[in-house]
Amino acid sequence: MTAREDILGRLKDKARPEPPPAAWRSRRQYADLAGSFIEALSGAEGEVLRAENLEQALEQLGRLLEDLQARRVVVNDEAPLSDIDLSSRWPALDWHIAARTPGDLREFCAAADVGLSGANAALAETGSVIIESGAGRSRLSTLLPPVHIALVSTSLLTADILTWAAARQGASLPASLTLISGPSKTADIEQTLSIGVHGPKRLIVLLYD
Amino acid sequence: MSTTFPQFRSRARRGILDEHLQQALDHTTEIYRTGRVEALGKLLDSEALRDHLKAIRSSTLARLAEHLETFERQALAAGVQVHWAHDGAEANGMLIDIARRHGVKMAVKSKSMVSEEIRTNAALAEAGIKPVETDLGEWIIQLAGEAPSHIVCPAIHKTRQQVAELFSRELNRPVSTEIPALTNEARQTLREKFLAAGLGISGANMAVAETGSIVLVTNEGNGRMVTSLPPVHVAVVGIEKLVPTWADAAVWLELLARSATGQPLSVYTSVITGPARPDDPDGPQEVHVILLDNHRSDQIGTAYEEVLQCIRCGACLSVCPVYREVGGHTYGSPYSGPIGAVVSPLLFGLEGFEALPHASTLCGACLEVCPVRIDLPRMLLELRSQEVGERILPWYDRVVERLAASLLASSRRWSFLADLARRLVRPISRNGSLRLPGRLNPAQPRNLPTLSRRSFRAVWQDGEIGDET
Amino acid sequence: MSQSSQHSIGSRQPATRHVALFVTCLVDQIMPEVGVAATRLLQRAGCQVDFPTEQTCCGQPFYNGGFRKESARLAKHTIEVFEAYPAVVLPSGSCAAMIRSEYLHLFRDQPEWHERARRLAAKTFELSQFLVNQIHWQPSKPPNGSTVTYHDSCHTCRMLGVREEPRLLLRCAGYSIREMAESDRCCGFGGVFSMRMPETSNAITAEKLRLAADTNASLLVTVDPGCLMQIRGLADAVDIRAEHLAVVLEEATR
Repeated sequence: MTAREDILGRLKDKARPEPPPAAWRSRRQYADLAGSFIEALSGAEGEVLRAENLEQALEQLGRLLEDLQARRVVVNDEAPLSDIDLSSRWPALDWHIAARTPGDLREFCAAADVGLSGANAALAETGSVIIESGAGRSRLSTLLPPVHIALVSTSLLTADILTWAAARQGASLPASLTLISGPSKTADIEQTLSIGVHGPKRLIVLLYD
Repeated sequence: MSTTFPQFRSRARRGILDEHLQQALDHTTEIYRTGRVEALGKLLDSEALRDHLKAIRSSTLARLAEHLETFERQALAAGVQVHWAHDGAEANGMLIDIARRHGVKMAVKSKSMVSEEIRTNAALAEAGIKPVETDLGEWIIQLAGEAPSHIVCPAIHKTRQQVAELFSRELNRPVSTEIPALTNEARQTLREKFLAAGLGISGANMAVAETGSIVLVTNEGNGRMVTSLPPVHVAVVGIEKLVPTWADAAVWLELLARSATGQPLSVYTSVITGPARPDDPDGPQEVHVILLDNHRSDQIGTAYEEVLQCIRCGACLSVCPVYREVGGHTYGSPYSGPIGAVVSPLLFGLEGFEALPHASTLCGACLEVCPVRIDLPRMLLELRSQEVGERILPWYDRVVERLAASLLASSRRWSFLADLARRLVRPISRNGSLRLPGRLNPAQPRNLPTLSRRSFRAVWQDGEIGDET
Repeated sequence: MSQSSQHSIGSRQPATRHVALFVTCLVDQIMPEVGVAATRLLQRAGCQVDFPTEQTCCGQPFYNGGFRKESARLAKHTIEVFEAYPAVVLPSGSCAAMIRSEYLHLFRDQPEWHERARRLAAKTFELSQFLVNQIHWQPSKPPNGSTVTYHDSCHTCRMLGVREEPRLLLRCAGYSIREMAESDRCCGFGGVFSMRMPETSNAITAEKLRLAADTNASLLVTVDPGCLMQIRGLADAVDIRAEHLAVVLEEATR
């Protein structure tokens, strides 16, 4: 008998009818989803810049890249970035678009100053940005560089993880889905907060309408 | 590895005298305690959510086989290679096989309690594969050759000077004692390991049956690194980590970080559903999940089943008066505090860990804060009763207790002997205490009480409590 | 002769309540003044107090040590001694909790005893619980200028849910209360724990004493003789006196 058969057999012998509870319904509702998102993410040492539209957000992005003195930027090939000719707009920078630009993505990510992405969803209660892997969507682009900038439309906002999960019911998942709720941190040494351990040291969200 | 009474006591003494540990315990547990209250207070229905999570956990365990089968089916469909292991030896064996098949020389690990439980690092090292812990706290204690001393904050007992010393020994050069500098050293050194490792090993906070996914929760990002950089990822998952649906997983996640550290969510919640898809620009080529039993199935249907509902938040540690005084190493197990006192004997054997069920005043603070309301005091009592039944307590213990019980069964016998005793202790009593020289007082420096000059029943029977009306 | 086991003290007029006092073994043999004070308080509140002399121990120390058989024997004895009374009052939160909650677990496999335990549990109370919730007795003394701090014994607050009652009585008796930080943090007694793991026990008590001393109150009050005993054992080290609620209230309401 294999371990599988053994373990399952033992568990089945002891199984008992105990119905699960009815699905939970979140009561969380925000009058100002964007405001709550900003409060929550700022509270976790994340940074949020507010823009009235995508064009304004892109202008903010330009200023940010300048302030950061960024040289190399890796970017996911996804909305809203895929339709923008980034290398034309900011030709002085060395751009690597995931799955489009030739060359070693991993090497580039490890050497990049900034990782740029969109998002699939955002949670107001916890200040989370949800990113997924997929065609043109690298995991390492938002993980290896010291700064991660995410362009997030307010239309992606939902109240909390419970509401988000309920809405996803049955939907399939990509190989990797990550809820990011701030820059990387630890308090493992003397319970003192340290930002930027393995993941990015800064998480900057450009939140636009 | 064992924790007998003498072992617990001598380790406890060391912990109590360790000033840095005492400060760290006070400081950390207070942050976690107040953080938890504040964070749960921001939820609209935290009590109802706790009840709901408990119902999810309980009903899941009731039909665990079904959920495991669903998980396996979904995981296989997503390209995961699913393995089943009776115990740690089998699980480690599988890990080593996978590593060998890929010619792995070095593996990076994200924090996994289960891997401490089954001593994966020792097994890998013996097989010529170098395991590198990447959670900062875990890396620190790996360098120190120590066990974790807290479920969430493993290196709680280390000063920054000690950490600097460990780092400089590892890196062969002097290292600053400033915390930002230390963190940066870890970032750089471990970054190289992440990039070079042939294998990533993780645990899982939960396994979601609905989609065959595992969920990893970290603040540092090492969970993402370990599961995205190396070409092969293996997750060792206790079978009790199953959760049926995403709606259930969301409830679990909503309570986990708040209960553990007071954060609304940990910085990174990674959901892994199989290896990289054909169009994914990066990600591991192979993802394995080893479903581990190791005595978990034994608990189903017993008085201890509830303990499998634990979500490893560590809230019970932060409120336990015993843990707060002695620290995690005193328990002699990777699982310390109230949950450890119950789980360690169940996993490693009651005989050998007989002190742990007694390392508690049964104050009930743990039950109060447990997100899934595990009745740990009840299980500690159950284990104590088991010790008596299995004759694990020393014989003189049993003799004394049985004698005392039979004395107390009769008020006449009890009164007579008590009055006799009070005459005997009179000469060594003063001001309500027994005056014993230090060496003869087992509770030293605490004074033990003496018997009163007269018993209450004597006072009553002499009609001395007058009628006030 | 049969009178002596049913000897009672109380008002000559028909009493408002007839109660049996279960003093508990610690009070009986170590701090009888607590039992005396409890009796007088109950009397003052209009009760007729009986002391069934057959009483011994509720069985808690044995239960906590894992000696279920021995504990059951004492629990059965306790049930037999007290079940005929309309109400049972104890100057001990942990012993009251033993009867009110743990007896039901102890007899889970014995339906007849379980039922008898359940009936007894329904009419068994810790002293302050009884005074405030059952007979609605409150003293009314003007503020006496003294400040006390109150220790929430573990079983009393977590198992019985008694937190407000002792505080209410203290305030009505004229005391002002200065709360210590973590008033419900364990005192370190834990019964036999205090002897099996004395260094840990003492460390826990030392912390409790430190928190109590920080309030600068001159008196620490508790409803549990076990806690009282433990705290007094180390109270020499700090400048604080520890006393049972019954004694404090009795003094204040003479």
